[in-house]
Amino acid sequence: MSMSPYSFRLAAQSLHREKWINLLSVLTIASGLLVISVALLVAYNVNAATGKLPEKFALTVYLNDNLGREKIDALIGALKKKQSVAQVRFIPKDEAMKELKTMLKNANYVFEGLDENPLPDSLEIRLKREAVSPEEVKKLTGDIGRMQGVAEIDYGEKFLAALHSVKSGVRTVGLSIITIIVAGIIFVCYSTVKILFYRRTEEIETFKLLGATRAFIRAPFIIEGGVIGMAGGLISLMSVYVLYYVVLTRMSSVVPLLSNILFPLDLFLLLPLSGLLLGVAGAVIAVGRLRY
Amino acid sequence: MIQFSNVTKDYENQTALRDISFVIEKGEMAFITGPSGSGKTTLLKLIYSAEKPDRGNISVAGWDLDQLKASSIPYLRRNIGVVFQDFRLLGNRNVFDNVAMALRIRGMGEREIRTKVFETLKSVNLRHKSDSYPKGLSGGEQQRVVIARAMVADPTVLLADEPTGNLDPDTAESVMRTFKDINARGTTMLIATHNRELYRNTGRKVIRLEGGTLVGVGPG
Ligand SMILES: Nc1ncnc2c1ncn2[C@@H]1O[C@H](COP(=O)(O)OP(=O)(O)O)[C@@H](O)[C@H]1O
Ligand SMILES: [Mg+2]
Repeated sequence: MSMSPYSFRLAAQSLHREKWINLLSVLTIASGLLVISVALLVAYNVNAATGKLPEKFALTVYLNDNLGREKIDALIGALKKKQSVAQVRFIPKDEAMKELKTMLKNANYVFEGLDENPLPDSLEIRLKREAVSPEEVKKLTGDIGRMQGVAEIDYGEKFLAALHSVKSGVRTVGLSIITIIVAGIIFVCYSTVKILFYRRTEEIETFKLLGATRAFIRAPFIIEGGVIGMAGGLISLMSVYVLYYVVLTRMSSVVPLLSNILFPLDLFLLLPLSGLLLGVAGAVIAVGRLRY
Repeated sequence: MIQFSNVTKDYENQTALRDISFVIEKGEMAFITGPSGSGKTTLLKLIYSAEKPDRGNISVAGWDLDQLKASSIPYLRRNIGVVFQDFRLLGNRNVFDNVAMALRIRGMGEREIRTKVFETLKSVNLRHKSDSYPKGLSGGEQQRVVIARAMVADPTVLLADEPTGNLDPDTAESVMRTFKDINARGTTMLIATHNRELYRNTGRKVIRLEGGTLVGVGPG
């Protein structure tokens, strides 16, 4: 495709002459990309908010009474060999009691008349980040439960499952929205370029009779599609940033959680660029399908 | 330069040209004449490959149109300047841009385009109208813009379809003078006209058509 400087001039002329059609397409594309970027913003923040949770996630294994140091060490050794386990810490019952007492500092009466420590020894197991999924954890707890000396296992089963369904839900819904809108944007660019083309058929016929090549005739439309798409991308970028700013400054006093939302900087590049690519794609499909 | 060998052209419902053969030599200035509907415009369209013959062969400027790929048609047309019967001026562009378009489609640089377009407009006495739009011009002025556009790229062949069709005798006279100048520079010319005055007593080749058949080739 030969892009002479004149191709850009023809594209600029058409952008100016057909400014209402073009503006309409730009705004349509911008609203589509705005929906996509809000979806991305939500997904990004859900991910950022839940991203650190697996590190905090831990299993607590309560041990049988009076197991003896040797058996405990053997158990720890066996656990450490497991692939999904990152770290095992032994918590003697005295330490557990001390922790409990500091936690309940203001309610010391609970411990009155307690001359023996009723808490069991326990092991705190931290998992490798990638191993924290409901299936993995269920399998692991099954294994550990069958080990000698283990009395009980405690972990946030429901919490973990909920976290995972939220994450995969966000991903599925987000991907479907994005796919539909991307197809929509390509279609808008395709239709716009087709309309622009038909409005100029007489001029194009004359260009051909004067000896214009297909590339000369097509290039301005592809440039125009790209410009429309990129303009849509820039407008959506401005809108989503304004939206983010308003939510951050106005809404966060009402909903404190919102004061933590982040704006992914990638959007500054992603939106104009994807607008450009979608616009060019629509235009290429349009001029490729036309007979002339 | 232009050779027709047994060329026949049918439209869906009728035959526009039947078994036409003739030769126009390099540097010649020839005429096609015949009543309206006799096939003059169709014959010119076959030359710049806007229509395809149903039978026979055509060669133009060394190109065998039978063998011509669709992607080569633009390059054939760059050797041929055409003065269209219906002008085909772009109403949303001024005179300068209309003439310049013939050079822009070739990818010529803007500076060179300015020089060539103004020079050509001067030769058809339209230098002062370069900023006007076609709608603001008289019929004769529009005709001369079309001629300027056809000649600006120095084509080897220039075709003109009824170039004096709606001009008064004086303007027609000046258009013919321009054509003679172009021809004198070596451009092969083929002019379709039903105006006898243009070729009478010139001694130039005249191709006579009637109802799509060639009824004679001879000096005017
Ligand atoms: N595109 C077309 N489709 C069908 N018939 C046509 C077409 N163009 C011309 N004709 C017919 O072919 C014949 C020759 O037309 P044309 O070449 O325009 O003649 P001229 O230029 O001598 O007036 C006419 O009868 C005309 O009606
Ligand atoms: Mg005609």
